[in-house]
Amino acid sequence: MKDPASLSAEAELDLISRAQQGDRQAFGELVRTHRAGVINVVYRMSGNANLAEDAAQETFIRAWTNLSRYRPRSPFRNWVYRIATNAALDMVRRERETVNLEALPLTNPGDGPEAAVLAEERSARVRQAVLALPAASRAVLVLREYEGLSYRDIADTLRIPIGTVMSRLNYARNRLRQLLALELEEL
Amino acid sequence: MTDHVTTWLEAYHDGELQGHRLHQVEAHLARCETCYQELRRLEELTTLLQSEPAPAGLMSADRFVQAVGLRLPRRPERPAWQRALKVGWQLTPLGLLGAWAFAQTVLVVTGILLMTRWLGLGGDLIASLLPASRGGSWSGELLSLSGAGLSDVVPTAWRILSSGGPLGWRVTLTLFALAVIGLLYWSWLASWWVGHQRLNAEVR
Repeated sequence: MKDPASLSAEAELDLISRAQQGDRQAFGELVRTHRAGVINVVYRMSGNANLAEDAAQETFIRAWTNLSRYRPRSPFRNWVYRIATNAALDMVRRERETVNLEALPLTNPGDGPEAAVLAEERSARVRQAVLALPAASRAVLVLREYEGLSYRDIADTLRIPIGTVMSRLNYARNRLRQLLALELEEL
Repeated sequence: MTDHVTTWLEAYHDGELQGHRLHQVEAHLARCETCYQELRRLEELTTLLQSEPAPAGLMSADRFVQAVGLRLPRRPERPAWQRALKVGWQLTPLGLLGAWAFAQTVLVVTGILLMTRWLGLGGDLIASLLPASRGGSWSGELLSLSGAGLSDVVPTAWRILSSGGPLGWRVTLTLFALAVIGLLYWSWLASWWVGHQRLNAEVR
C-alpha cells in the first residue's frame, strides 16, 4: 500500500501526456496504478469503506477533468492525493449524518469469532479517534502513517510548509495518544 | 539526563533526519532512557494505526477502472478555431509588448529626425520626411517631450495638441495608443489571474 508506483517515472509521464491528449486507456492505467493509494487515503480520511470507493472514483473524475492543468514539477501521486483528500472531506461533509462507523465490514477471516469482535471494536475506536482529529491534522497523519509520504511530499500534496507538516503531525499524534491510551496499553 | 532530543524524535521516527542530526539523535537515544521510551511510544502508535485493516469487499482493480471509465465526462477535441483562440489569448501579452515597442520606436525616431533638422543636418532628405511646421514651436517642445518625465509628458503633449499641427496629433495619438496598450496589458494580466485562481479552487 505504501508504494503505489508500479510504473517507472518515464512510463507514467508518457501515460499522463497521452491522457492529457484525451487517451482514456492511458488514463485508465493511471487509475489502476494509483487506485489503492487513493482509496486508502479517502478511507482513512473518511472512515467509511462503502463511500471511500465512490469518493475515489470522484477523485479520478476530477483528476481527468483538470488533467490539462497538471504539470510534472511534482509527482502525479501528490497531485491526485491532494484531490483525494479534498474529495474525502467533501464526502464527509455530505454524509456526516449518515456515516455509521460500527456498520463497516472489518472482520479478518483468519481470526476466531471473539478475536474478530475485539479486533473490530479496536479498529472502530482507532477510526473514531482519527476522525476526531481536525481535518488539517488528519490529512497530514493519513499521508504519513498510512501512505508513508515524506514530509516534503506531504507539504507538496497539501501545499503547506514543511514546518506546518511537522507541527500538525505532532498535534495529531499527541491527540491520538490521549484518545487511544487504553488501546496503546494493550499492545 | 539533559538536552533531550524530543524535538527531533518524530522526524527521526519518520526517517526524515540525515547527517549530523541523525547521528546526534542516535547517540542520544543510546544513553537516554526517557527519549528511548518516547520513541517507543511513537512506534507503538504507528503500529496501532497501521494494524487497522484496509477496507474489505472492494471491487477489483479491473472493475474499478471500468467504473471510473464509464463515469468520465466526454472531453471532445476542441475545434480549430477554439485552439487558435486559445493560442491567440496566450500570445496577447507578446502582441501588446510588440505594439508598445513599436509606439515607443515611433516616438524616438521622430525625436531623432526633429533633432537632426533642428541641428541643420540631413538637408532635404530629413525635411521631406517631416511635415511642414506652422509655428515652429512644437518641434522644440517635441524634443523636450522625448526626454521628459511622466509629469511633464501630459502638459507638453497637450500644448503640442493645442498647437494644431499634424505632428502634434500624431504624437498625441501615439501617447494615447501607449496608454491603451498599457490598459489592455494589465486587463489581460488581471483576467489571467482570475482564471488561474478559479481553476485552483476547483482542484484545491
